[in-house]
Amino acid sequence: MKGTELFTELRIRQLQMQTRRHFLQKCTTGLGALALGSLTGCMNRNVPGHGKNPFATKSPPGFAKAKRVIYLHMAGAPSQLELFDYKPELAKLDGKPCPGSLLEGRRFAFIQGVPKMLGPQYRFKPCGQSGTYLSELLPHFSNVVDDACVIKSMHTDEFNHAPAQLFMHTGHGRLGRPSMGSWVSYGLGTENQDLPGFIVLVSGGKTPDAGKSVWGSGFLPSVYQGVQCRSDGEPVLYLNDPKGMSRDQKGKIIEAINKINEESYKTFGDPETLTRIEQFELAYRMQASVPEAMDITREPASMHALYGTTPGQSTFANNALLARRLAERGVRFIQLFHWGWDAHGAGREEALNMGFKDRCKEVDQAMSALILDLKQRGLLEETLVVWGGEFGRTPMRENRDGKVMTWIGRDHHTECFSIWMAGGGIRGGMTYGETDDLGYFGIQDRVHVNDLHATMLHCLGIDHEKLTYSFQGRPFRLTDTGGKVLDKILA
Amino acid sequence: MKPVLTLLIFLLLLACARQEKPAGELPELVGYNTHIRPIINQKCISCHGGVRKKGGLSFLFPEEMFLPLEDSIPAIIRGDAENSKIMQRILHHDPEERMPQKADPLSSHEIDLIRKWVDQGAHWETHWAFIPPQHPAIPDVDDKENIGNPIDHFIRARLQTQGLRANPVAKKEDLIRRLSLDLTGLPPSISDVQAFVSGSLSYDTLVDRLLQSPRFGERWTAMWLDLARYADTRGYEKDAHRDMWKYRDWLIDAFNADMPFDSFTLRQLAGDLLPGAGPSDLIATAFHRNTMNNDEGGTDNEEFRIAAVIDRVNTTYEVWQGVTMGCVQCHSHPYDPILHEEYYKSFAIFNNTADADRDDQAPTMKVYTHLDQPKADSLKAYLTGVKTRPRPLLPKENLDQMQAYELPIMQELQGAQKRVTRVFERGNFLLKGEVVKAGAPEILQAGKAVEINDRLQFAQWLVSPSNPLTARVMVNRIWAQLFDQGLVTTLEDFGSQGNKPSHPELLDHLAMRFSRDMHWSLKKLIRYLVRSHTYMQSAAVSADQLQKDPGNIWLSHAPRPRLSAEVIRDQALAVSGLLSEKMYGPSVMPYQPEGIWKTVYSNAKWIESKGEDRYRRAIYTYIRRTSPYPSMITFDAPSREFCVNRRIATNTPLQAMVTLNDPVYVEAANHLADLMDQHPGSLEDKIGFGFEKAVFHKISSEALRTLVKLYNEPSPEAGGSITPMSQVAIAILNLDQFLTKS
Repeated sequence: MKGTELFTELRIRQLQMQTRRHFLQKCTTGLGALALGSLTGCMNRNVPGHGKNPFATKSPPGFAKAKRVIYLHMAGAPSQLELFDYKPELAKLDGKPCPGSLLEGRRFAFIQGVPKMLGPQYRFKPCGQSGTYLSELLPHFSNVVDDACVIKSMHTDEFNHAPAQLFMHTGHGRLGRPSMGSWVSYGLGTENQDLPGFIVLVSGGKTPDAGKSVWGSGFLPSVYQGVQCRSDGEPVLYLNDPKGMSRDQKGKIIEAINKINEESYKTFGDPETLTRIEQFELAYRMQASVPEAMDITREPASMHALYGTTPGQSTFANNALLARRLAERGVRFIQLFHWGWDAHGAGREEALNMGFKDRCKEVDQAMSALILDLKQRGLLEETLVVWGGEFGRTPMRENRDGKVMTWIGRDHHTECFSIWMAGGGIRGGMTYGETDDLGYFGIQDRVHVNDLHATMLHCLGIDHEKLTYSFQGRPFRLTDTGGKVLDKILA
Repeated sequence: MKPVLTLLIFLLLLACARQEKPAGELPELVGYNTHIRPIINQKCISCHGGVRKKGGLSFLFPEEMFLPLEDSIPAIIRGDAENSKIMQRILHHDPEERMPQKADPLSSHEIDLIRKWVDQGAHWETHWAFIPPQHPAIPDVDDKENIGNPIDHFIRARLQTQGLRANPVAKKEDLIRRLSLDLTGLPPSISDVQAFVSGSLSYDTLVDRLLQSPRFGERWTAMWLDLARYADTRGYEKDAHRDMWKYRDWLIDAFNADMPFDSFTLRQLAGDLLPGAGPSDLIATAFHRNTMNNDEGGTDNEEFRIAAVIDRVNTTYEVWQGVTMGCVQCHSHPYDPILHEEYYKSFAIFNNTADADRDDQAPTMKVYTHLDQPKADSLKAYLTGVKTRPRPLLPKENLDQMQAYELPIMQELQGAQKRVTRVFERGNFLLKGEVVKAGAPEILQAGKAVEINDRLQFAQWLVSPSNPLTARVMVNRIWAQLFDQGLVTTLEDFGSQGNKPSHPELLDHLAMRFSRDMHWSLKKLIRYLVRSHTYMQSAAVSADQLQKDPGNIWLSHAPRPRLSAEVIRDQALAVSGLLSEKMYGPSVMPYQPEGIWKTVYSNAKWIESKGEDRYRRAIYTYIRRTSPYPSMITFDAPSREFCVNRRIATNTPLQAMVTLNDPVYVEAANHLADLMDQHPGSLEDKIGFGFEKAVFHKISSEALRTLVKLYNEPSPEAGGSITPMSQVAIAILNLDQFLTKS
């Protein structure tokens, strides 16, 4: 397909539009802000995003250790007390009634009356050179724990799943705000123009409780929402050619469309027509590049052994391997969701002594393989990997409707939970933050969700207070009015 | 390359800046709104505004601006810049003391302006949007060619000063397509195009015909549904179904009947409080029952009831007043003179309804499909003892046989049930402050204090002549629908952080015509707008126009926007002959790829509709908030969680994939191909026919050659469903001129 001249012209047009936008939108308050204006694309406010590639690679204003993020979200909130936060004192209290002082003024989702304390359900031991305590349910992770920083003092504002997942991903507990991935692709664009910049992979059979809003673009232009790729069926919606159409045929159709569009451009002189020509060509290229990237059968047997993958399934393991393939290809934000962690003990499939073990098996090998694999390829230092749920679980055993339940489980808990981070500017082999002896409150270096976001953006070279977008009369940011960077965990 | 680019941007920026703002010259009279407010808003207000009042100084209210500060001297002494502290601090030699703090000093021009303004008496002016509009004089213009109506005078007066001229009238084929898409959301019929082009159908008759079409109501409902955050589910975790469609049908009827906008307002905000409110008035109140519900186990219903009330307050102010109230939830407005307490006065107006985030959605009313509703109404009237004619037979059985749907509506609490509203400190509903009484923000009352006790009085005030904003905001909204952007581009924000109107006099002219002369008739307003030459002119743009006015702010040519998500779908179905004209009723589920709805704690399933319901207009497509119809989202439709005033148009490869590969569009292309195959004549005739059917003008010889070549390309995989003619049809339905309005 030809059209070099047209594209030179397109670039000039874009430049004109851009300049004008900067001027009109008042998104610059003096020239200092202009730098950030161009960083963030500044498509906001007054003029729709005419004529501009919203995903053009933008270099961050700060020093960036991480070029991209892989975020592994465990929807339903895994219990920290069975995985990362070792509480021998709690074991001693197992089965004893919960002291009233712990219940006063607290809101619970299901606990009623006076519940009983519940000791850790699994054995812990120090692992790696760092001696980080890990549960026996994470045997693979113990091999890579020296590359990770475990944060034990996370806390959040929301204690129901949908709002808490929104809070974790958008920095706000109600619908309508952009997700982390949207903010990052808005701020930094993406490196590979033949693939979406923000890709979402879901396993566990269901989407998260808060639905697709957790990768939505909120008030940012919808172009920044996550694109869900699927490991079975069409990898991206509408990616496949219609039945009975060959790639060659598709190429010829697009060629004809673009030829006539060039004619329209001559008639109307609308720069948007040139962008459209470019987008149709990009769609054509994506039809080849996306299936290629999503095809894990191209991986050698050793890789499948490492991750525990079986091609054709939509498992967390497959998605972890895909995450590495996408990271290699320069996708900016790769978001995984794995559903099924809501261990209330209300059913066998989620109980701490039952389904929870299966969940751990499903993720332990693959998430550890991901770190190893990124590391051996030299990608870990430029890829920030984050693992965690949306809140924690109570040190009390859940007693729904005031009764002893058949299975063992814990209720929702906002005051402390554990996550880990690795690569991309994070110091490995350390633990950050402490909780009290019962694992009920963070008592040292508490980390709010806003702080996590501020730190992630910092690793990407972005000052979280400067990445803003004006909506409904005020500038918004991912960290709302809070957020501080966790200096102590930076490499 | 990059530094060069940056430099180039910088130079261009400088050039622009110089063009727009001739610095140096001081005006004869320095105006607060024109000269001073922009400086204050940009440089001072974040420390001296509604949130922070450093040193006790705020520029939000005049009384605060001239207040003695801590050292009992005011910052501004009227008429005496020399001794005013504001000047001393701006000019301070010590960067630590100099204002604005920790920022670059003001430019010498800005300093001169402030000095002159203080010396001239520091006269305060209210922000333009809070002063009620007046009929402005219609400006005289040099270029009198093709003047359609007074709108063109206002537009040309500006064009003249910008060194631009209006384009000639668009080609008739383009004009009728534009008009038809704008008024009805659908392309014109071939016969109308022929009649219009040949001259047997006049423009005015065409306009009237389109305004009378039932398709008109459907198209303008699509606009309002974004504002009403309309969806078929409740949001959050379960995101369960609820029956809201009757409200959508109410909108269609209201737009088609040209219900005056004042009445449209009263019914949606307070239909239940109208004297003698009927079923239709109650249905209208579902506007504010589109707020989300959280049915997740273990949630606090009061927390989400409050979230719904907050959403109602914010939505109402955005939709009717173009005022953003989000900030005021937690503290006084940082940029506009609205106090924190005033938010809760508005909250009190909406805080007295019976709904409370209940799983059963109560209060609801029984509604019936469009066919059943009249029967149901007369039966119910009969059963409640109202005499009706003709007398229904066997009323009870009949009513039971009809399927009833539960529509959530508004219902006011009475007597002792009434809620007391308190200020929430920092917006936190658990931290309750002072008790407040219902009321509207003082600044919006434009000097005429009004008594507001409930939603009805509030709605009446919104549409009263003393309200400075309702008419302006609405005409601006309609303008943006037709001209791609508003005269105030920030449709949702007319406050001091929003954009100034490009044509303030035109905005007021339209607001006055609409609310007074036209008695709030939308059809009259739309007719007035489309009869202007500004609307009818061609969309072609020259290099000169693009250079002088790249954003087309001054409207020297018609805009050429991409069509909306709804119109993209409807148009493809319409030109291929698939579109169903069936109106009203429960939302339908057209084709959607497998596996989109995999949701937690809900067995809801996408069950593809049968027969013509697969080809209904896009406004009838089922909207699940946590998983909206994918191709609509790709074309920038919002997910309806919150009120959206403006969709941001994007241009992405995923959009190309929808129109190239989505089975809905492929089916449309195949149908169009069949019609083309059936068309008599040569291959060229068939292709020309298909092209014209889609874009309504004759195909150029070059385009024809391209499509004939495409037709003759060998298709290597024989036996596939994509015939040579389908290839051509797919190409036609993906053309830039098909996807945009020219």
